[in-house]
Amino acid sequence: MPKSMKLTRPIGQFTFAAWALLSFTVLIPIVYGIYISFLDIKLSSFLPPQFVGFDNYVSALKAPETWATLKITLTMMALGMLVQIPLGIGLALVLHRNLKGTKVFSSILITPMLLTPVAVGLTFRFMFDTDLGIINWLIGLFGVETINWLGQQSTGILAVVIVDSWQSVPFVMLLIVAALGSISPSLYEAASIDGASARQTFWKVTFPLITPTLLVVVMIKIMDFLKLFDTLFMLTRGGPGNETTTLGLWTYKTGFIFLEFSRAAALGVLIMIITAPVLLLWRRSTREIK
Amino acid sequence: MAPFNQGNKVKTTKKEKISGYSILIFASFLALFPLFWTFSTSIKNRVDTYTLPPKFFDFTPTFKNYTSLFAIDAFPKIYLNTIFVTVMSTLIVLVIGSLSAYAIARRSSFRGRSSLEALMIAVRALPGIVLLLPLYRLSSYFGLYDSLWALVFIYAGFNLPFAIWLLTSFFKQIPIEIEEAARVDGASNTRMFVKILLPLAMPGIVATGVFIALLSWNEFLIPVIMAGEESKTLPVFVAGFISNRTLDWGPMAAAATIALIPIVIFTIFIQKYLVAGLSSGAVKE
Repeated sequence: MPKSMKLTRPIGQFTFAAWALLSFTVLIPIVYGIYISFLDIKLSSFLPPQFVGFDNYVSALKAPETWATLKITLTMMALGMLVQIPLGIGLALVLHRNLKGTKVFSSILITPMLLTPVAVGLTFRFMFDTDLGIINWLIGLFGVETINWLGQQSTGILAVVIVDSWQSVPFVMLLIVAALGSISPSLYEAASIDGASARQTFWKVTFPLITPTLLVVVMIKIMDFLKLFDTLFMLTRGGPGNETTTLGLWTYKTGFIFLEFSRAAALGVLIMIITAPVLLLWRRSTREIK
Repeated sequence: MAPFNQGNKVKTTKKEKISGYSILIFASFLALFPLFWTFSTSIKNRVDTYTLPPKFFDFTPTFKNYTSLFAIDAFPKIYLNTIFVTVMSTLIVLVIGSLSAYAIARRSSFRGRSSLEALMIAVRALPGIVLLLPLYRLSSYFGLYDSLWALVFIYAGFNLPFAIWLLTSFFKQIPIEIEEAARVDGASNTRMFVKILLPLAMPGIVATGVFIALLSWNEFLIPVIMAGEESKTLPVFVAGFISNRTLDWGPMAAAATIALIPIVIFTIFIQKYLVAGLSSGAVKE
């Protein structure tokens, strides 16, 4: 900070409105959510709620669905990163070549990330349709048998990951493009003078320098897969049964379909506990990037 | 941060050019095909939709799906609701966001800064459902369930952190010397903010507004929980098609197209802001 900052007056009150808004939409809901997780509210019952201590937590932790849906969430997360990070890096490297028309291509490539996830989910649901879907027709041309994409766990999870990747790869790509843009070209010149191959240059020069950005990408992807809702809701609704239900969707179902409101609040608190370490890492990593 | 490597052009061989263009063209096809497919399904008759091999161009277009969509009584209201919530919440976010971003950009510490940042990170990281469960119960208790203004403020609260991060990076780009000159002339904080900083930050504010409007337009989880029939928005309406037993793809595709068209038109017009905003804000999102 320059010393001239002393001249300026306090401006903390400029954030008062932000504080007020976030108190009503975030702080109070968090506190109230913790409070109702200790009651026995069911949306189907009009009895006055009773204090039940840790009962909701015990039953949530004992329920096999909690662990099954957590496992599904982690599976999607791992698969999603495995697909999206290499594709994002690959496309970013191509855009970084700065061929003629790069700007036009990049505007086309970022379109998917701007589109309404619900509408995207609807479109892909049609494309993944067993009998009429264009995807089954296309793989049929190569002699692959018809797949009931959304009707079973393995391909259902795969379909959700494919749709999420369609919307998320552009985002990863943009972050990597920005990271590549900040690498000094003299490093590449030095590498080529030393006779490094393209592969060597990537692994020895490019990759180490984009690692901080990749860590940010990984953390954003962890948060986004915990949040995943819209496209999943449209594609499978977590079905068949709970076979593609994530922890977040399970919390929604518990609260608004099975009407076990306090149980859902307890699941919400458990999700907060899971996200806490990610939060701390996130905070640290954004400071380093700055 | 520069969106593309300006100036430091990487030398490309002919082989790299060919492989580069093939990848870009293939990726662009994958990015655009679902859009094309939604649109073409929306202007097909039932017989042309329910057939294999799929018909790409050899069908007679029809607007039947759209007319049946517009014939739904609630449809105009749903569209207006979505526009209202998007515009109002974006305006609120921009006003509150600019004020906070200015404070954060100019002071490394002030009272309440770290707790404000903690709340902002909580919004970014926590799945919406965690906050919406308690919000649903609170708003039912206070009679705010199914109210457009409740939606406006919840949208605004959930989008505010992203806006503050974006705007902070824009305010930081304004040289402090400009402020110092105004200080010497005795301008107050408020006066300086309105007369000097806001006009300078306007491109950044517009870019941020574009993003927040997009996020609000696309928002599904908040209205699916907080909105009933009165304040229903477009994404909830589009999602509603799926729960029907009979899947009629034509009207569904028309509904999806109607949700997507404003975005596509919008993004063509604001291309310039888009890439700049995405790349400067992306790292902090």
